[in-house]
Amino acid sequence: MTHIALDAIVKNFGAVRVLDGCSVAVDKGTVMTLLGPSGCGKTTLLRTLAGFVEPDAGRVRVGDRDITDLPPNRRQVGYVFQSYALFPHLDVAANVAYGLRVRRVGRAETQERVRKALDLVSLSAFADRYPARLSGGQQQRVAIARAMVLEPEVLLLDEPFNALDAKLRLSMQIELRKLIERVGITSIFVTHDQQEAMTLSDRVAVMRAGRIEQVGTPIEIYDRPRTAYVAAFIGRANVLAVDVAAGRVVADPAIAAARPDGPAWLVARPENLTLEPGGEGAGWRGTVAFSTPQGATIEYEVATGAPEPLRVVTLRKVGEPPLPVGTPVRVRAVDPAACVVLEDGPDGA
Amino acid sequence: MALEAAARPRAPATLLRRILHGNGIWPAVPALLYLFVFLALPMLTLLAFGFVTIDRGRVVGDTWTLDHLKAALSDELVWRLMWRSFWVAAVSSLLTLILAYPVAYLFAETKGIWRTLILVAVISPLLTSALVRAYAWLVILGGRRGILNQTLLSLGIVDQPLRILNTDWAVLIGMTQIHLPFMILPLLAVLAERDRRLEEASLNLGASQTGTFFRVVVPMSVPAIFAGLALVFAISYTNFIVPQLLGGGSYSTLAVQVYEQTIVVLDWTRGAVLATILLTTCFAFVMGIVAFGNRLARWNEATT
Repeated sequence: MTHIALDAIVKNFGAVRVLDGCSVAVDKGTVMTLLGPSGCGKTTLLRTLAGFVEPDAGRVRVGDRDITDLPPNRRQVGYVFQSYALFPHLDVAANVAYGLRVRRVGRAETQERVRKALDLVSLSAFADRYPARLSGGQQQRVAIARAMVLEPEVLLLDEPFNALDAKLRLSMQIELRKLIERVGITSIFVTHDQQEAMTLSDRVAVMRAGRIEQVGTPIEIYDRPRTAYVAAFIGRANVLAVDVAAGRVVADPAIAAARPDGPAWLVARPENLTLEPGGEGAGWRGTVAFSTPQGATIEYEVATGAPEPLRVVTLRKVGEPPLPVGTPVRVRAVDPAACVVLEDGPDGA
Repeated sequence: MALEAAARPRAPATLLRRILHGNGIWPAVPALLYLFVFLALPMLTLLAFGFVTIDRGRVVGDTWTLDHLKAALSDELVWRLMWRSFWVAAVSSLLTLILAYPVAYLFAETKGIWRTLILVAVISPLLTSALVRAYAWLVILGGRRGILNQTLLSLGIVDQPLRILNTDWAVLIGMTQIHLPFMILPLLAVLAERDRRLEEASLNLGASQTGTFFRVVVPMSVPAIFAGLALVFAISYTNFIVPQLLGGGSYSTLAVQVYEQTIVVLDWTRGAVLATILLTTCFAFVMGIVAFGNRLARWNEATT
């Protein structure tokens, strides 16, 4: 059941069109991630949902209510800011109690709800500290508790892990995912980190220049990217210019493609390619240009004469050295069915 | 680390190098020297006059005495004047705050040319002397032919001219206007640089715009509010031009007395004693204001 619906949202900042007809629907109790590079409009879209940005066109719906024209303080939308925006003049308990105080909730009930919210994020021991005396991870948890204590219908998080160091980031991502599942709140994340999107979300909306490029589960988007942009943004991908004739990609061996004849683009993940030494036989011919042993795998760059080298990841056997640079090799797809054939190439070519 | 540094004997060469490198307080030495010679010494001399007996410009006797101070402190008039100095300064400080806050807030909300215009408007009164501005108020508030009364009379709002000049009201009005920039400037800086996301967070948590203003914007500006209050209080408490000009001949405050005893009556001892009282009480009040502000802004210690 759709819980949050953003319908054809348009927003211009001066002459710049930041959002160009964005539509996203999020099911109740699921986590959606808006993924895209900086400047693609993902934060603006989130701010539209919270009411900080008034869209020029389009509607915002939460549940069966149209909230497009509601001011931010009348929306039941929890928001976790990028740098948390905790009130520095209030201690942790007062920060969490803020929303309850402005709603004139009774003293005893406020205390009880604040205690529960702080328990939820394991910060009960820090109730009387000022935010400046907390670590980044603790500040983030206060920000989440402050939003959750109001039992909002939806939770919005704007790059919540940006301010954390890499090690803390992963553990907080998992913690937050567990918390969201426990509470069962519909959530939307904004991030530019594809790994974070994979870890946290039920569904991912990839954004590009104010438009939604593709929406799907992380696996769908990884396996079946609809454009070369999505393929390159989620994980790594080789995008090759190829020709399609009679329902097959002209290559050796040929790959099935349900596309009309003509030029097309083939997307192949590095781990779906394999290479064999020797210049004779089927496959793309090239020479090893670079190799990086990664422990369990070896990553190769193979120069084939195309502008971009082919990236190939192969499993490494114990004691096996990588092929030396300059070795002539043949590259083939491990599973041709896992390759994706697209009509549009990188940058809409 | 600190222990090690303390334990190490400091060679004179190191000290010289530290001076040349400009570490610690050394960069401030020229300014401190200047202040000592041209502020602290003359002031100490002046205050010392209160503890000796002076007759016809000469120190009489060779002992210090507390008699003059005791006499002043047992004088009921001194206490009355101090009370008036205090409440006039306190009320005008609060009035400047009430008038300054909207201006500073407006400045923070505007951009470009409007900002520059507001800033120029705030600073430009400082380009004329306080004396000139006090005279301007004389013209505006003065008698039947003053601008204010003429306007009110011709509009038919009052049928008798208001008696404002030579009252507390005139002193309060003049002081508040003249000291307004000293309140606006600290507020400007803090309000213009404030983090707007905190206000978004407040709205998001359900507070209204007004609620956000009083729960977030004002508390966050408490350090600036109290800096402005301390500044305006100090200059209002010790101002003798405005009470003298706008309060009229029989209107007096502690600061006016210091001026009159020293310059008109030429009783330097009493002038010096009153100056001592003025200075110490002013210092005490300002410390009180600052301490109260720090208490309200305890969170601020955590951020620095």
